[in-house]
Amino acid sequence: MLPDVLIANFGYLLRGAVVTVGLAAATIVPSAVIGMLLALAKVFGGITVRAIVDVYLYVIRGVPLLVLLFFMYYALPYSGIDVPPLFGGVLVMSLYFGAFMAEIFRAAILSLPRAQWDAARSLGMRRRLMFRIVIYPQVFRLAAPPFVNTCILLVKSTSLVSIISLWELTLAGREVAERTFAPLQIFGGVAIIYFVLCYALSRYGLYLEERMRFAH
Amino acid sequence: MPTELTAHERPMVELRRVSMSFGRHRVLNDVSLTVSRGEMVAIIGPSGSGKTTLLRCINFLEEYDGGEVLVDGETVGFRLEAGRRIRRTEREIAATRSNIGIVFQSYNLFPHMTVLRNITAAPIRVKGVSPEEAEARARALLSRIGLLEKADELPVKLSGGQQQRVAIARALAMQPKVMLFDEVTSALDPELVGEVLAVMKSLADDGMTMVVVTHEMQFAREIANRIVFMDEGAIVEEGDPKRLFSAPTTERLRAFLKRYRESYLLS
Amino acid sequence: MNGFLARYLSVFLEGALVTVELALAAIAIVIVWGLVVAVARLSRVRGLAPLAGGYIQLMRNTPLLVQIYFIYFGFAMAGFGLSGFASGLLALCLQNGAYAAEIYRGGLQSLSVKQIEGGRALGMTPWLTFRIVVLPQAVARVVPPLGNQFVLILKDTSIVSAIAVGELTHVGKLLSERTAATYEIFFVLAAFYLVMTSIVTTLVRLYERRVALLL
Repeated sequence: MLPDVLIANFGYLLRGAVVTVGLAAATIVPSAVIGMLLALAKVFGGITVRAIVDVYLYVIRGVPLLVLLFFMYYALPYSGIDVPPLFGGVLVMSLYFGAFMAEIFRAAILSLPRAQWDAARSLGMRRRLMFRIVIYPQVFRLAAPPFVNTCILLVKSTSLVSIISLWELTLAGREVAERTFAPLQIFGGVAIIYFVLCYALSRYGLYLEERMRFAH
Repeated sequence: MPTELTAHERPMVELRRVSMSFGRHRVLNDVSLTVSRGEMVAIIGPSGSGKTTLLRCINFLEEYDGGEVLVDGETVGFRLEAGRRIRRTEREIAATRSNIGIVFQSYNLFPHMTVLRNITAAPIRVKGVSPEEAEARARALLSRIGLLEKADELPVKLSGGQQQRVAIARALAMQPKVMLFDEVTSALDPELVGEVLAVMKSLADDGMTMVVVTHEMQFAREIANRIVFMDEGAIVEEGDPKRLFSAPTTERLRAFLKRYRESYLLS
Repeated sequence: MNGFLARYLSVFLEGALVTVELALAAIAIVIVWGLVVAVARLSRVRGLAPLAGGYIQLMRNTPLLVQIYFIYFGFAMAGFGLSGFASGLLALCLQNGAYAAEIYRGGLQSLSVKQIEGGRALGMTPWLTFRIVVLPQAVARVVPPLGNQFVLILKDTSIVSAIAVGELTHVGKLLSERTAATYEIFFVLAAFYLVMTSIVTTLVRLYERRVALLL
């Protein structure tokens, strides 16, 4: 009882998986940057800045990612904004996950002992140097475990771009399943590929968590 | 405003009528204090007396509301221009701080850097010392405090006492004019306190100007040139350690010492 | 915008109703199913804990959309096809049940043995200790993250639109293909979802406060 259809099409699915990994990788860096900027705004910004960030976070956390993707895909072209779907998909996902990264980074920044800031400033370090060699390295280390867990959600969310016709693993699976009428095998195989990707990330996250436990 | 004394006679640290409030609460009330070159002043007092805040005003970690703070004749944090208080630029403040060493109660060291890098990072990047010289200086300091073999370790591998000693070395690497100590032994296990105090004693013997906020009364009595007792944001009594501890003139100091002796069972 | 709303509000409301039905059903089932899985995960019965653990790992590492496709298309091909709504509901429950199980597990495991010992030292029976010391704390610890999961369930209902279930996002998609009023559609959708998620968040916070009073 071999899944022969799956085996026959596995190469095609793997090509989709490569795109999925590419999409995720392309999204992770912008979301981290956006998340860090938002976190800095929330921790150090004035009342107006914080309010704007709060509104942004409220909207992003309350509206489903798919709705945001639809907006980008269907609505923007009407204003003459011609966004290439790939770029648009990555942009929307970065804005979406950036909001979740913001909370992670904010918590990390606030958990840094005050003496670290004091020590850096007392040695005569100015803002840019202090952030570069004292603050950011520690914040990223502190944020790493929850960050990696969010990356797992990110990888899973790339499946949604299949709905706006961006070709990746899930869309590849749908194409094959429709062609071969073997949805159980094909979607099962697709699930396994996602599982391998995400499980690897989760093990890495656990490894980071263990390292944190011994570092302090 | 430079004083008319020569550089040699000029006090190292001058606090002139320094005041500070947190909202309604007056933390420092018109405090004036002078520390001469090479002097070791110990500040004692109950918690909430403002002694830590006063210390932190010296390198502008606390932005005092009123009065002046001068280190080696230069105003810290603010300068007076035609009678108006103007906040100094970030660059000026950072430059002043690079000449003042401070050691905190805990979490001093940067946990993601080795001991050596902790000590060399600021001299290289703030004072422009060459990496080779910074490392040589660092190793010399580590050798002096007996921790040279820990140079490539991360702080997490060191005991609390070792970390505090490295923190002192890190401050010294900047070749400061004055060293500030904020209850540096209070968070340590008792058996580790001695090694830190030994380093501080040798610093004092070498003539470093030091301002030390501490609970270690024995140490203060033996090593300090002068004791300052603070309570409720003001200096209540100050003077020679032997005299102060054996014959306090104010009631509040007497009560403080009595409470201290009772809790530590010292004679 | 007002004209648009006037014409299509009822359509949006129908879609929102389906969303709410889907979400409420999923939430109700997940509350129970998540607890079942958590208990299985912690049980000492042979094979049960690894089975539950495997299920949780499988759900957490595969996307909801793929699970929906698997169930909807797969079951149909296998002969016992489920409707779009049922497929979506099943997938939502399976996926979120796993996350809920982890939340329950966290809440149950964080209870210190000392609490129970402390209760017994005061002369309370284990059951009484459990009821008035352990359980309120466990509930308090579990309610906020569970509430967050409910919000996620609500947002995940939008994904069910992929198999043409008539919930809110699907309505929006259909309308945007028929009219040119995509901006208005988006704002209406966003408003609906924001209102719904805000209601859920507020209800959870109110419940948190009630539980805190029990402590």
